[in-house]
Amino acid sequence: MPELPEINPVVHGRLRLALLSLLSGVEEAEFTWLRAKTEATDGNLGAQLVKLEEARYVAVEKKFVLRKPQTLYRITETGRQALIEYVQALKQLLGPAINA
Amino acid sequence: MQNHATEQELKERLSLIESMIAEGRRYTQSWGWTFVLWGVAYYLAIAWSAWSHSVWAWPATILIAVIITVVIASLKVGNQPATTLGRAIGSIWIALGISMALLFLALGLSGRLTDQHIFVAVIAAILGMANGASALILRWKVQLACAVVWWMAAVTTCFDTDARSTIVFLVAIFLCQIVFGIYGVIAEAQERKGRGPIHA
Repeated sequence: MPELPEINPVVHGRLRLALLSLLSGVEEAEFTWLRAKTEATDGNLGAQLVKLEEARYVAVEKKFVLRKPQTLYRITETGRQALIEYVQALKQLLGPAINA
Repeated sequence: MQNHATEQELKERLSLIESMIAEGRRYTQSWGWTFVLWGVAYYLAIAWSAWSHSVWAWPATILIAVIITVVIASLKVGNQPATTLGRAIGSIWIALGISMALLFLALGLSGRLTDQHIFVAVIAAILGMANGASALILRWKVQLACAVVWWMAAVTTCFDTDARSTIVFLVAIFLCQIVFGIYGVIAEAQERKGRGPIHA
């Protein structure tokens, strides 16, 4: 019997998974856009983004546009790979039940 | 970890990934208002040129519509992320705006904007091209229908009388700008309403 894959706990968190998935479809995104899409609170969103940053799954860039602070997030290659592996693990764990 | 994750939870995670990827890639900003704005601009230009026969009617109206679009769009897209799809669609409409502004400014000022049939055919063909390209990229049947209406208007105006050519143009503007624009605004509002918050 083949060994079941481990699910990456960093990616598995609902909000972290939503953030990685959102960032995988765009080049980079502002904090405010991510907040609007996930409808998460500032505190929760910030905390989950820090976890993803610590895991090197997202990169953050802070800059000023017209004197206003702007925080931009983008998924890293490591983050993209982690998301791909997570999806593969899910598919393997679900097996035929995926279509049920 | 997988020992604690139920099948339902895993399926829910897969569905979350799919919906969020689609959300990120969706050309999200509400653009329905631009179609309504430009529909109104065309009607104003037609009314102005019919009333005063001024060479400024079309160039001035198009220029004002371009300025209003740029100002509102720059305010609305402030925190929108860049996507390849967004850039592709945006490029088509920006190029269309520049082409129309330059063409009608030049035609209006040179006094060569005299044949109504050629004018309607050109404007309808350009709008058909832009709507068609957007529809094919987005795989959006409603917008493709708009492109077909514009292409039909471009062809029929070449063979119709002045009066019928005007009616064809007015109907095409109503269907493809006003009705389609309002449909877009409503569809976008419904999409936004259907989502809920995501917790950690």
